[in-house]
Amino acid sequence: MSTTFLPCSVYHEDYTQDHAWWQTKFIRGKMILLLLLLFVVIPKFADSYVLSVCNQIGYTILGALGVQLLIGYCGQLTLGHAAFLAVGAYTSTLLVLEFPWPKFLMDWGLAYPISIIAAAVVSGLWSVLFGLPSARVKGFYLILTTMAAQFVTVDFVIAQYVSRIGGRGQAFSLPPGTIKIGPWVIDTNLKVYFMMVVLVILCVIGLANLLRSRAGRAWVAIRDNDISAEVMGINIIKHKLLAFFVAGFIGGIAGAFWISNIAAISYEHFPWFWSLWLVGVILIGGVGSIHGTIFGAIFMVVVMEGLQLAVMPLADTYPKLLMDFLFIKEAAFGLAICAFLIFEPNGLAYRWWQIKNYFNLWPFSY
Amino acid sequence: MDVFLMTLTTGIMVGGIYALIALGWVLIYKCSGVLNLAMGELTLIGAYVSLSFYSMGIPFVLSLLFSLIIGFVLGILTERIFLDRLIGKPILSVIMVTVGLSFFFKGIVELIWGTDTRVFTPAVFPLEPIRIGPLVIGQVYLWSFVAAIVLLVIFVGFFQYTRWGLAMQATADDEMAALSLGVSARFVYATAWAIAFMAAGVGGTLLGNINGLNISVGYLGLLVLPAVVLGGLNSVPGAIVGGIIIGVLQNLAGAYLDKYFPGGVKEVAPFVFMVIFLLFKPHGLWGWERIERV
Repeated sequence: MSTTFLPCSVYHEDYTQDHAWWQTKFIRGKMILLLLLLFVVIPKFADSYVLSVCNQIGYTILGALGVQLLIGYCGQLTLGHAAFLAVGAYTSTLLVLEFPWPKFLMDWGLAYPISIIAAAVVSGLWSVLFGLPSARVKGFYLILTTMAAQFVTVDFVIAQYVSRIGGRGQAFSLPPGTIKIGPWVIDTNLKVYFMMVVLVILCVIGLANLLRSRAGRAWVAIRDNDISAEVMGINIIKHKLLAFFVAGFIGGIAGAFWISNIAAISYEHFPWFWSLWLVGVILIGGVGSIHGTIFGAIFMVVVMEGLQLAVMPLADTYPKLLMDFLFIKEAAFGLAICAFLIFEPNGLAYRWWQIKNYFNLWPFSY
Repeated sequence: MDVFLMTLTTGIMVGGIYALIALGWVLIYKCSGVLNLAMGELTLIGAYVSLSFYSMGIPFVLSLLFSLIIGFVLGILTERIFLDRLIGKPILSVIMVTVGLSFFFKGIVELIWGTDTRVFTPAVFPLEPIRIGPLVIGQVYLWSFVAAIVLLVIFVGFFQYTRWGLAMQATADDEMAALSLGVSARFVYATAWAIAFMAAGVGGTLLGNINGLNISVGYLGLLVLPAVVLGGLNSVPGAIVGGIIIGVLQNLAGAYLDKYFPGGVKEVAPFVFMVIFLLFKPHGLWGWERIERV
């Protein structure tokens, strides 16, 4: 199961040990430290700005997980994932704002949690709808149909029709206090942060476990060679659509999460750029690994924030820079993708694997 | 009926420009197997370069020529720096490199020229429309169409009759055989990119003449994707026919469907049509059907 080498004198005696996530005491300790870092250290010491960066990372991870599943595990190239994030976000917003909730659900603060689940399901079904062409086409053609999903969903259906529901015009504002889980009103970065951490952990665990089930193995088989997979008796259409559903499901969760962090939602939050950005994240992190998704998200967000911090002091002397920063960011993102694909095609996850093995095998690495 | 004819002719004229850009796309794909998603940005670069020259007071034809030259140089540079290292890599890597390139180019274009709409001043083509029988056609459309067709003929002639063009055809047909006969594949790839850059630049300049030039012209450049899918990815006549069909469809959708679905039908229609078309004919009109083996 694990691709890293086990240290000396660690042996597995049954299959449960072999399939365990945390196989040694050292790894268990490391993971507990990580959880401590996530739940105690960061909330205690980070200021609001750092927390907002963390939230952005979490959102990127949630969005990119679905892309990782489709591209990295199922081999279905997609360039329209922001559409499903948008569907999730809009479903959740509409449910929270417009749906006549029974009084007791409102009082218990269950409207938003239920709307997250509903958003995930709706988004998953929408994703299946646009995944249907994958039954007939693949590769580049599939890219085109997913691009069509982006343009049709975001620029047409949502921008022209969904945005008009309730006569609100272009943007749906979310009044403070509407986003509520149980007794807590999600209003500070810290609360959003906790919600983000919980959602990311749940999604990562869910996806990781799904990937080692029958469906997950079928996806990998389809990715490696779809014709062989079909010959081996895998129902590839069913599994491709299942992959689209799960990807859309996680995307819906991401979108529904993100509305807790913004004051108003508009279709401009989900441009085609964002779809490409998510694909860039998994390429930089490493295609076909979940922790690659996380590395990629952290890398991209932190680098872009760092770039912004580096540019800001210069802005006093060159005010034009502030305006141009968006363009610099775009160009830097493009160059980063090209550079990674050319010089580090396996992504950060591969580098991480090498470093880990170096220490595991030290000093006799041969 | 008049409305129908008018939209039809406008569609054909705009479609001619799409056909020109699509030709560049198909060339890259045929010769080097790269699926290029940066086509929209290539149109932007060419258009902005020729606009800059034109607003410096250089005659339009000359500035178009300059943008062709710069496009040629940029095309060769792009191929050499980025795409050359990716020969033989998986399809996703190559596609994403072109996506990365598209961001890079777009960022650079926005940095240099800003995001405001610019127009060719003074107007290149006379403003008053021409009347042919019942038809009224803007001169911009007419001359753009003529220019696009002329360039198409030049490019197609280049492939059919010159030594370089034949080398490109040979590489597209069978790379191994071409290599063994002494054709330099790297040269062919570089030329393909250079020609794509030039074709896109001219297309962008013409599109910019119609509605003014801003970043959204890059989106129009993206419309080549439905066009090439319609015609079949590796077919030059397919690209031309596909481009014209997409132009016509787009304008017809804008004229007739807008009543029922107000808003951006014109932008979305080509993509919707493409998806439906793909479901029934995944290889386009004249694309090669590859038989897959394990």
